[in-house]
Amino acid sequence: MRFLSVLRKCAREQKRDLWILGLSLAFAPLFVFIYWMFTGGNVTTSYGILVINHDVGITLSDGSNLKSGEEAISAMEVLTFKDGSPILRVKSITDRPAGEKSLRDRDATVLIIIPPDFSQVIAEAQSGETPTTTLEFVGDLTNPYYTVAAVMAITALDSYTVSMTSEYRAVELLETALGGSAARTEFEIYIPGLFVFAVILIMFQAAMMVARDIESGTLQRLKITRLTAFEYLSGTTTWLVLIAVVTILVTFATAAAFGFRSQGALWIAILVGIITSLSIIGVGMIVASFSKTVSQAFVIANFPFGFFMFLSGAAFPVPMGTLFTIAGRDISIVDILPPTHAVAALNKVFTLGVGLDGVIYELCALSLLSVIYFAIGVWLFRRMHLKA
Amino acid sequence: MNKVVLQAQGLTKKFGSLTAVDELSLDVYQGEVFGLLGPNGAGKTTSISMICGLLEPDAGSVSIHGLPVHGGQVEAFTRVGVCPQETILWEKLTCLEQLEFIGEMYGVSRKVARQRGEELLALLGLSEKRDKLSATLSGGMKRRLNVALALVHDPEILVLDEPEAGLDPQSRVLVREYIRSLAKKKTIILTTHNMDEAERLADRVAIIDHGVLLVVDTPEELKRTIGEGDVLELEIKEISPEQAMAAIEEALPDLSLRSEQSAAWQSPPPQEADRFVVENAPRDDMVSLRGINIADKLPTIINAIQRAGGQVGEIHLRANTLEDVFIALTGRRLRE
Repeated sequence: MRFLSVLRKCAREQKRDLWILGLSLAFAPLFVFIYWMFTGGNVTTSYGILVINHDVGITLSDGSNLKSGEEAISAMEVLTFKDGSPILRVKSITDRPAGEKSLRDRDATVLIIIPPDFSQVIAEAQSGETPTTTLEFVGDLTNPYYTVAAVMAITALDSYTVSMTSEYRAVELLETALGGSAARTEFEIYIPGLFVFAVILIMFQAAMMVARDIESGTLQRLKITRLTAFEYLSGTTTWLVLIAVVTILVTFATAAAFGFRSQGALWIAILVGIITSLSIIGVGMIVASFSKTVSQAFVIANFPFGFFMFLSGAAFPVPMGTLFTIAGRDISIVDILPPTHAVAALNKVFTLGVGLDGVIYELCALSLLSVIYFAIGVWLFRRMHLKA
Repeated sequence: MNKVVLQAQGLTKKFGSLTAVDELSLDVYQGEVFGLLGPNGAGKTTSISMICGLLEPDAGSVSIHGLPVHGGQVEAFTRVGVCPQETILWEKLTCLEQLEFIGEMYGVSRKVARQRGEELLALLGLSEKRDKLSATLSGGMKRRLNVALALVHDPEILVLDEPEAGLDPQSRVLVREYIRSLAKKKTIILTTHNMDEAERLADRVAIIDHGVLLVVDTPEELKRTIGEGDVLELEIKEISPEQAMAAIEEALPDLSLRSEQSAAWQSPPPQEADRFVVENAPRDDMVSLRGINIADKLPTIINAIQRAGGQVGEIHLRANTLEDVFIALTGRRLRE
């Protein structure tokens, strides 16, 4: 029964390494809890709809005014879930470019443009004529929320028009895809997330590279030379950024070889990747600060990895509440995760074909996070490993 | 050798309730080999760590040529090379690459670091391994490379923590000869458990225990003044060893004798230089005495035996060793 001896040995070793067992056991429950907390348990998702209402309305023969544009908007607003919460958050705007920017930034999901003759057409249909007009739906077709929001909005609008025109469908729909989103294959839709995934993996390398110096004692030798934490970590970071650049290029080349097409300039995507890698490496340094061995670094790094993958939108969309708003931008808790901004920026570049000006916000956010994480990493590393 | 290059004053370090080093003060002179001895847990490594600036003392100070080690004086550090007890190498770097790297860390240009690295590899018998990864070296080679890494920036003071630990006899001789060759050109501080190593290499030794400095002096002076002294074994003929002992006691009335098994000296206890211990003799026809400078008393002892009708056959004299001094000061109780 030597297997029992092996079992006992494993248990004894594990008992003396309780924190690894604790981290392993806590990982999945922690994310279940976080998802529950972020999604509010049974709270449903409300989709942001922007409306430009060009409808001028008409005065009917009985002297009353028909404003079908406004009524259609009301029809969308009254759609609710069972718990009474609105399905669509409808916001009226007047500026189409600003609306499209909101779509690109994913602050809204669909932009609906109601034509000037909307009320006229409804009125004519009511009197037995068969006119038609066109409602325009604008959106990023690669946004996973777009389809749901658009279907909900169409349902509300269709119900309204049908109820007004005695089953005559006076409205035709025109779908305008932002950028190249209409022509994206499913494979291409996944690529921005995969780019970010490739960069996130650098975190493991960063944490383990530093932990190797800690574990082998070579960091002690460097400490004797009065090497500063900044010098050590910036040298290590620079090397890892080079690896990140190569990773991005190789990933792009592989994707391109299999038919991926970027709507925007590759250099912008590389810039996004580099700045993302800086912040990711900063997190890796924080992980290394808490590690004494390579295996510890690996285990600890799984936690930020989980956050990056499951809560940033890199793998799938995550509904997050707004903490506060800065300059018209909704800020949520996941904005502290660099991949959140990286995914948004790469989607814009690859799918919507935006230029540098279109990703300035994300680049600024990533740069700020890089500085913050790197500074925390240097501070922690100095305290934990280089303090005399 | 009178110029003080390194001075520690009142160094104290506590870890919780344990005082690892308690007000350690010592001067190390230029060009000397200074041995720091002590049992396990005596505070050697803590002392060395504070001397090298790796550990901040709770009290006291260390200065090198008057420059404080603690408090950000980088210049003080470049004058010290440290060879840690553990072999600390970058396994994925070649021997020469790591010498270059660590040289650059000390501010040496890559060209000079490379040149010094090659010289050190040659001196330590590692030239053939210059382009080999350190992971491929044998244990002895790694230890030698460990020493080389402490020297690549040409430090004025070299701190060697157990430099001969884990070395085979050939490597030990090589490293010892190399350390000897460095002596006079550099100031060397070495910690060791190996009394033979300390005796062979050190000009002066300090013995610490429980964080307290017990003694600092040359090995010769320590052997002469501390411990239970040299061992004298005499073969007794014609009379019994007991009769011979009685004659010796009679001839040397001012000396105190104590059985090795006895716990205490006769009262009042004699001065250290007059203490003699009667030890268990290796043979039934021998007497065995231990004492400081016992050889000086040999003519008196022989005369006493002859006057009692005996003769002295074989005479064995074993000198007091540094290990005897060490045990006398720190005791026989196992540590750690």
